[in-house]
Amino acid sequence: MAERSDVELLEDLLARENRLVSAYERALRRDAIDVQLGEWLRDHEREHVRAIEQVLRRGGERNPRAGVPAPELNAALRSRASFTRYAIDLEGETVAGYTEAAASIRDAGLRQPLGSIMACGAAHVVALRDSLGDRQLVN
Amino acid sequence: MAAAVLASCGGGDPPPSTGPRPGSGAALLGSLLALERAAVAAYGTCAELLSRRALGQILAIRAQERAHASRLERLITDLGGEPPPGRSAEEYARTFPRLRSAEDALHFAEDLKERQVRAYLEALAELPSAALRLEAARTCADEANHLAALRVLRGLPAAQGPFVTGAL
Repeated sequence: MAERSDVELLEDLLARENRLVSAYERALRRDAIDVQLGEWLRDHEREHVRAIEQVLRRGGERNPRAGVPAPELNAALRSRASFTRYAIDLEGETVAGYTEAAASIRDAGLRQPLGSIMACGAAHVVALRDSLGDRQLVN
Repeated sequence: MAAAVLASCGGGDPPPSTGPRPGSGAALLGSLLALERAAVAAYGTCAELLSRRALGQILAIRAQERAHASRLERLITDLGGEPPPGRSAEEYARTFPRLRSAEDALHFAEDLKERQVRAYLEALAELPSAALRLEAARTCADEANHLAALRVLRGLPAAQGPFVTGAL
């Protein structure tokens, strides 16, 4: 696969973050997540979106992709437990996206901040597991 | 507290002195390895004060730290370096603060873990190759998972904020 440009990497991360924002917003509307937890997660994702958009604006280049709701989300919204499992998967995939991006992005000044968001995503997985009553918090 | 402890118990160990070319990243990996070894010893000490769910988590964390240390040793060797020697459990233990309760142990473990996350984030910015940065990023994700678990065990939110130890 061809190496992606920094803008492409950031656009991909932005799409992932927007998917998370949308998932938590919908879950909150449908009572598919505890309100306090859902708002905490959603607000973090919004901050991540804001930060990435800011970086992209600095570069002056934008090629925004339309967010496409995942078809599994509708099914996941049927209960809190199923949404939480869905969100754990989505957060995990996003952490993997940040892991790749933080390692490969050419702008060295962005590696640490992207790692910082990745670390937040890893914490979200733990918070979601805890909300399920899962005794095992560590991966 | 943890930063001072780690500086004295392994974080300040000398990097490998021969072998790899300057700028290969081996010295930085050596520093991360020293931190991992100190952490393995520290979490063993913490485990003595924990029970039930917290004990299970700290033992899982320690097992992953051992795997991280082994991986770092292999990476340093692959770069032509020699992994720095570690210290004995007793030497590490002498540098730890006196822990009297499970809360003390979890607090100490969280401090150590925050130091580890920060070290891997710094390494992400400094390691010279994408392959080494990918290793650091993966391990950093594990460390962040551990940090969040320790915070939850202390009754704290899993993350302090949207940017763990930094901001974009």
